[in-house]
Amino acid sequence: MNVKYLLPFIEAAYEVLQAEVKCKMQRGELLLEKSHYVTNDLTVIVSMVGDIEGTVFYSMNNKTAMFISSAILGEQLEEMNSIAQSGVAELGNVITGRASVKLSSAGFNSNISPPTLLMGKGAVISTLDYTRLIVPLTGEPGEIIIHLALREGTHKGLSTPNISVPVAPLKK
Amino acid sequence: MVNVNFMNPFVEAAVEVLKAEVQLVPQRGSLSLTKSALTTNDITVLISLVGQVQGVVMYGMSIDTGLELVSRMMGQVFKEFDNLAQSGVAEMGNVITGRATVKLYEGGFSAMISPPTLIQGRDVTISTLDFARIIVPLVTEAGEIVIHLALRESPTGQQDNNFVDLTIPPSSTKS
Repeated sequence: MNVKYLLPFIEAAYEVLQAEVKCKMQRGELLLEKSHYVTNDLTVIVSMVGDIEGTVFYSMNNKTAMFISSAILGEQLEEMNSIAQSGVAELGNVITGRASVKLSSAGFNSNISPPTLLMGKGAVISTLDYTRLIVPLTGEPGEIIIHLALREGTHKGLSTPNISVPVAPLKK
Repeated sequence: MVNVNFMNPFVEAAVEVLKAEVQLVPQRGSLSLTKSALTTNDITVLISLVGQVQGVVMYGMSIDTGLELVSRMMGQVFKEFDNLAQSGVAEMGNVITGRATVKLYEGGFSAMISPPTLIQGRDVTISTLDFARIIVPLVTEAGEIVIHLALRESPTGQQDNNFVDLTIPPSSTKS
């Protein structure tokens, strides 16, 4: 886990939460975790493939999720229904997407997967040999924790731009 | 829109890998299609796909099945679902999914897979939002492995989110 991947995510989270939820978030202390993550009420899972690969989690409790979805949708939601769920998943999607664009400008091109939403406290998530960088953000909605389990990709697949430039033969 | 063409590569890949790695011949149970969230089994391996086919694939099984699989795979008896066992199960999901993407590519759909995430915990709900899920149960001697496929063809123009157009001069910045 390299800290240069970190700033795009923090910036993206600040910007998106400011724009969509009209809240300024404060960053808490960063932590590096090798152990498993025990889930909160809601966890949005977005994977990345490319120059940077791995998985990003956004975790929060129900109250924070409702606050965020209500703010995004512009109406007060009473229960964690599928609309509220899609609001939270969309938040994770937009933040990760924005971060990947910033990473692109820094030279790291990646594609992000569609988001998956995990609901239920107490499940154990392991990102295996990817260490997780924990970024807690607090603000009016409550606490949102961003977990970054990322590292530089090994270019197993296609990379952009998808034009191969032949290597010049070595002069002997 | 769910494409059933995406299902066969995964079932074929799973059968091949299970035969090769753990000497098990799975029987396919009856398929179902659902939009509702999935309630997890003890162990779920989650792998995302990006590219022409996008979405998520999940492999669910009980702890006993997981232990049996890794025991056969590594040639030693596992009594506890420890870190090594976890990485074994995740790796199996990784290999199956990787093999499936090769088959998808041969069928004209290119996709790349994400690293696997392992989720442990029964009765946790996983929602794939507006992706409908095909559920393929595979019954083996070691127990049942359920493959959940929530995949669709990427809408054109969305396949490479960060495609950098070479015609744009290097000095300009894209926001």
